[in-house]
Amino acid sequence: MPDFETTSFGRISYEPEWAIEFPSGLPGFEDRRRFAAVKFEKSAPLVFLQSLEDPALCFITLPVLVVDPQYRLEVSGEDLGQIGLAPGKQPRIGTDVLCLTVISIRESGPTANLLAPIIVNLRNLKAVQAVAPESEYSLQHVLLPEEAPVCS
Amino acid sequence: MLVMSRRAGETILIGDDIEIVITHIGRSRVKVGIRAPRETLVIAREVKLVREENLAAAVTTPPAALSNLVARLQPARTPHSSLQIPRR
Repeated sequence: MPDFETTSFGRISYEPEWAIEFPSGLPGFEDRRRFAAVKFEKSAPLVFLQSLEDPALCFITLPVLVVDPQYRLEVSGEDLGQIGLAPGKQPRIGTDVLCLTVISIRESGPTANLLAPIIVNLRNLKAVQAVAPESEYSLQHVLLPEEAPVCS
Repeated sequence: MLVMSRRAGETILIGDDIEIVITHIGRSRVKVGIRAPRETLVIAREVKLVREENLAAAVTTPPAALSNLVARLQPARTPHSSLQIPRR
């Protein structure tokens, strides 16, 4: 198993057959194609998407169903085609695809990008960050709302 | 905003270096060809927003903020505010 040095986790080893490949990279990181999904018991359910090409590049993600158990995929035919899925119907989360939402840690608290989830085809490990133009989901869905103020 | 009407096959020029060609007009979609210098970013609006969000998300996270997030997400030992479920 090859080793890879990372900024966030130090040296990690991974199975090359388990490397996730983004044929077009991700928006903003179009030339970063290969990632490993890293999980630790201590930080479950977070899934870290560690770049296998840039030791300092890592995305924090959550399985989308953890954030919204009712989440409905609206992946475009083009995005489905990119990862080898039939464009006609939406894939099933868990059986056909792994669906992750990228977390941003902001000063105001963590948010999840529900507008553009990362879809990983479980059969070939090809992935795409699917941007659906007409999505009603939020780009910055607040994960931990402030405690409601007490009315006096 | 300048609004122009064009037929399929017609072209719009922007500045000295950019050309927009209406290549096909469909029922609900327009196919647009864009000629621009390499350095000029040409992307769908919603992709630009996702791009910016990814760039912000990829910044190294202070460990404290991360362990706080994990503590809130793991099965709570004491009652805590739960994840906000979005309303569609």
